[in-house]
Amino acid sequence: MGRAPFRRNRSDGFDVVLEAGEAAVLTRLCEELTTLLSGDDDEPQSDPVLERLFPRAYLDPTEEEAESDWQRLAHEDLVDGRRRALATVEGTLAGAEVRRGRFELTLSEEQALAWLAVFNDARLALGTRLEVTEDLDLSGLDPDDPDTAPFAVYWWLGVLEERLIDVLSAR
Amino acid sequence: MTLDAPTVVDPDVDETVETAKPWVVIVWNDPVNLMSYVVFVFQKLFGYSKEKATKLMLDVHHKGKAVVSSGNREKAEIDVSRLHAHGLWATMQRD
Repeated sequence: MGRAPFRRNRSDGFDVVLEAGEAAVLTRLCEELTTLLSGDDDEPQSDPVLERLFPRAYLDPTEEEAESDWQRLAHEDLVDGRRRALATVEGTLAGAEVRRGRFELTLSEEQALAWLAVFNDARLALGTRLEVTEDLDLSGLDPDDPDTAPFAVYWWLGVLEERLIDVLSAR
Repeated sequence: MTLDAPTVVDPDVDETVETAKPWVVIVWNDPVNLMSYVVFVFQKLFGYSKEKATKLMLDVHHKGKAVVSSGNREKAEIDVSRLHAHGLWATMQRD
């Protein structure tokens, strides 16, 4: 990925260029996260990914009532916010122009922030599933290991996220 | 580090954050979030300077946690929600 996938343009938007394969992976990740978020709310949250995306506010067990009240107030908004960001990424990807096998699109700042949120949520989900550690080393991965492909996606998302933060931070 | 909920209840208080408030919001280290992303979120949510946001991020990274804001219970709950919306691992407790 030597090219710049994100560039700030002259009208304060962000030009995006993705390979068709990248757009396909991103679309699939959006679908998977959307499915994850549409789980039955009555089910206890035993999924470590959901626990990571929606942590407790209070660690103190004597604050259990405050925790429940906070969950009641905040949880739905947190789910909705994530759904909206996913819908933004899926919608803008669907509206991309495809030129020579590349997806080209332009994002507003608000849309770019939704992309950033989705990159980060996808990394949190994958990283939790893969139980990554801070000293993640991809060099020893066996191509036949079923985790190799998701590790590659995790790494790729990190590169994209870093590039997007660079252009969002540059004024 | 792991993703298990920590039991530490006595965080190092960052002297640059106003802490004469009843509740503090703590961000915990995790192995996934990018350092640049954490700095970006601290600046965006709290309006901190790049320097202050970077110092807090480094405290999270090296000490395992940092107090990033404080206030009454309602403000702390709102800050925790905003941090969770951005994928940061935040909790709140009495100062």
